[in-house]
Amino acid sequence: MSQTTDRRPAAEGRAAPTRPARRRRPAPLIAVAAAFLAPAFISLLVLRIAPAAVALWDSLYRHSFLQGGTVFVGIENYTDLFDNVDFKNALLVTLVFSLVVNPLQISAAFLLAVLYTRKAAGAKIWRSLVVLPIAVPPAVSAVVWSVIYRPDGLGNSFLSLLGLPAQPFLTSPQQSLASIMVLLSWIGVGYWMLFLIAGINDVPTELYEAASIDGASAWRKLWSVTLPLVRRPLAFVLVADTVSNFLIFAPVQILTKGGPSGSTNLLMYDIYTRAYTLGDLSKAQAEVIILVLLTLVIVAVQFRLLRSSDAA
Amino acid sequence: MIAATTQAKVTRQRTVAYLGLSVLGACIGILFLTPLWWTFVNSLRPGSDTFRYLNPLEWETFFTATPSLDNYAALLRSDLGLATLNSIIVSGITVVVGLAICSMAAFALAAIPFRGSGIVFVAVVVSFLIPFDAIAIPLANLFRDWNLQNTYAGLILPGLGNGMAIFLLRTFFLAIPKDLVEAGRLDGLGWWGIFRRIYLPLSAPSLIGAGLTLFLFQWQSYVWPLLNGTDSQHILGPIALSNMQGQFNVDYGVMFAGSMVLTLIPLAIIIAFQRYFIQSVSTTGLK
Amino acid sequence: MKRKLLAATSLLAAGTLFLAGCSTSSPNSGTANGSEGSGTGTVNLLGPEDPATFAPVIAAFKAKNPDISVKYSQVPFDQLNPTLQQRLGAKDDTIDVYTVDQPRLSQLAAQGFLEDLSSLKGQTKAAVPDAQYSVNLYQDKLWALPIWNSTQLMFFNKKALDAAGVKHPSIDPAQRMTWEQVVKDGKAVQAAGTQFGLLFEQVEAYYQLQPLAESAGGGSGITGDKMLTTDITNPGWEKAMQWYADTFSSGLSPRGVGGFQTSPVFTSGKVAYFIGGPWDIGNFAKSSIDWGVAPMPYFAGGSQATPTGSWSWGINPASKNKAAAKKFLEFASFDPAGNLATTEAQTIIPANTAATAQYLPKLEALGGDKSKGVGSLIAHENTETAKPRPVSIGYIQFEEIIGKAFADIRNGSPVSERLKQAAQQINDAWKQL
Repeated sequence: MSQTTDRRPAAEGRAAPTRPARRRRPAPLIAVAAAFLAPAFISLLVLRIAPAAVALWDSLYRHSFLQGGTVFVGIENYTDLFDNVDFKNALLVTLVFSLVVNPLQISAAFLLAVLYTRKAAGAKIWRSLVVLPIAVPPAVSAVVWSVIYRPDGLGNSFLSLLGLPAQPFLTSPQQSLASIMVLLSWIGVGYWMLFLIAGINDVPTELYEAASIDGASAWRKLWSVTLPLVRRPLAFVLVADTVSNFLIFAPVQILTKGGPSGSTNLLMYDIYTRAYTLGDLSKAQAEVIILVLLTLVIVAVQFRLLRSSDAA
Repeated sequence: MIAATTQAKVTRQRTVAYLGLSVLGACIGILFLTPLWWTFVNSLRPGSDTFRYLNPLEWETFFTATPSLDNYAALLRSDLGLATLNSIIVSGITVVVGLAICSMAAFALAAIPFRGSGIVFVAVVVSFLIPFDAIAIPLANLFRDWNLQNTYAGLILPGLGNGMAIFLLRTFFLAIPKDLVEAGRLDGLGWWGIFRRIYLPLSAPSLIGAGLTLFLFQWQSYVWPLLNGTDSQHILGPIALSNMQGQFNVDYGVMFAGSMVLTLIPLAIIIAFQRYFIQSVSTTGLK
Repeated sequence: MKRKLLAATSLLAAGTLFLAGCSTSSPNSGTANGSEGSGTGTVNLLGPEDPATFAPVIAAFKAKNPDISVKYSQVPFDQLNPTLQQRLGAKDDTIDVYTVDQPRLSQLAAQGFLEDLSSLKGQTKAAVPDAQYSVNLYQDKLWALPIWNSTQLMFFNKKALDAAGVKHPSIDPAQRMTWEQVVKDGKAVQAAGTQFGLLFEQVEAYYQLQPLAESAGGGSGITGDKMLTTDITNPGWEKAMQWYADTFSSGLSPRGVGGFQTSPVFTSGKVAYFIGGPWDIGNFAKSSIDWGVAPMPYFAGGSQATPTGSWSWGINPASKNKAAAKKFLEFASFDPAGNLATTEAQTIIPANTAATAQYLPKLEALGGDKSKGVGSLIAHENTETAKPRPVSIGYIQFEEIIGKAFADIRNGSPVSERLKQAAQQINDAWKQL
């Protein structure tokens, strides 16, 4: 008992600044929370949210060096964008990309996580190899995959080894987006797998044993034991992966520049080109705001779905 | 007798499953390695031979009988050494300080039931929806006013508050049973004590995951460091790598050698922490 | 809570805006125009090249001007323009001299990112070829001094041509091949077992493809008094682009090989004709194949046109050491020895006429017998067929959008429609200027 009273003031004193009555009345929760949150919250506010607010502000202006000066144009940058065929195409491509690539990557990451947490020879080594691509500099990943996707490249060499016909990959509007997805999955799946492995390892082994005694098949175990128990890490991976995939631009920039025929013109790449190549900052900022809102809506839907599945 | 045969059958099934899973795991691992292995092999070859053995496949596509370290020797004449060191410094400080900041925030969001935590969480999520490269230009103007251009602080700061790391840590912190908080309180621990002595020790895997997130953000940063200044003392790895590509031609051999150096460090970290990564609540003594 | 949070955020944002506002008004009022400086001290040079490239010119300058040191910093080529835009926009005085991609000069000048060098007009005109003088003018003022020049040549694989019994093209510009002939011979070489007939080094770059349109009578693509009218849907452009599309659809040229992966295709012996720059001479000399060089072809009945232009150097108006910067610039551009020193470590043609005369024999020697006669060929192209890229403040948008159109055409988009679409996109982008 004496031990506990000794420790308490020291511990609490650090969380909440000195308060004479702390011995009897602990600091209000909101003050404690504020102390814990302050450094992160300030850095997010200053380094992310404030510049984004500047972006929002800029998106209401137009800068012209021909006429000279900056004029307030209200929502004109936005209406211009929605009148623009290329922008609408970019929006569509981004949505299609997002709807396909996220479920694909997450299920692949989950299955790999399950595979590499089973008892098997060298699982740790093979697992490291799957994680490896995240460590490769993005510029180099893009170069390597350009070599795979070249008409006379490694991809078609493998196909011909298997007796399959050569594919156009990045030079065809039908295959380019899928090719980019494969490349991104190569980079990202191992990374997301890591978080799911951490989650699966939290599933108590007794649960599996109980299921085994019940005579459940491996598939059943996966579906009814593992999946519900990794729900939280899975939710994290779902949201984080969705967001990350909205922010992709490096491979597109290096490999396809949005083509052929706009088929890989993801919104973030469009923003990047507009801001850094074309120098049309205000319209690029308008696009940023649209992208953030779009992501926000999708993430909000995901949270809502996750919550209702929680209740069920 | 019947029991014995069932036993044998089960064992045989287990062996088959063990072998099957091992082979499958190995195949997938090797498939993921292949592109990088190709890069590695070509870093041991002169740049003029990079595209020589693509089609049709031959043993020389993936192996070389005459490996040479010339490309790696060429790296010694570049800025890559200093740049790698700088990247290690910047990423290292970001991971340490960033983890402290983010885990504290995640703890407040996961364990402390205060009014408004929902809104703070929304702000955290929103902050990581904002594409950093898109807001880098206004931010660079700010940093210039604060005299942070060409400083380590200017390079490190943007990596510190990472919404995704906070989100990740919060997710795993939520899995820690509330009974433990109660038990801690009964033992007389304050919030800081609960955080330090209960949450952090139980969260090795998620801390490593968040650390990796923070690390990679800095390790791969490319646009920001250039906007923040280009003096040669503060050059970072990806920029040194990109500087090796000339305007008129690219020596892929040297570029691949450089990328191997830049891949090696995160790889070493991932492998070193694998051990802790599989450790979890159930294996750290909490039952 | 929600309202409080919003208030806090907007307060912070307002603070940020205030600070951002300051950056364009108060702290810079003193530095906006920079200053002449003492004519000594340190000059900071910024560019995309390897530091070794400029080490010789910097050392040569130091030997002549011991009281001025030049410090070079490198920015990766793909990030040079964004970096310059951001830092010049913020009136960063740690840049004194920077490399200017010639077609971007007019925009940089219009933005106020270049110091007016009109007092050096006479000297510049005397020192460099006409095309190299005019590309540095915008609204009749001189904004930068030319350092490097360039051209394009046609390389051929002797062994591949011999196997098909195809005659080696002559290096004499009077016997320049036509594109029609290149296609015909290229197909013959393919039939004899070489994988590809023809390959452009920069498959999707306006720099290299502009001469196709020019030769077919289509012009540069930009016209008008203000040089802000697109003209890429005329018969000349359509003819040139249809020809280009056909080289890919017929399999004469490979799709999907881009960036800097093209010259290795030539050095591995897989292609008959390769359109590349003088910088390839040194690289090809090191390769194991037997090659020759010829003038860049033209369309039968059309005009002869070749790419030209490269880099100039300009002074940042916010520089605090303009006098010394100017001295360095004059040395690197006007002084033949200084200009020649910029090409010591990089195979590129110096812009200065006297330096070019000294340089070309050295370039010719790089390839030995294989590049015999290339010196006088380049001299001919520089003065007779060089077509500079259009001087327009909308060039950046034009180049980006037309580049995507080239890529699509290469991958099989219908030519006429795709050019119309590009024209529409360029006009849209120009509306923002």
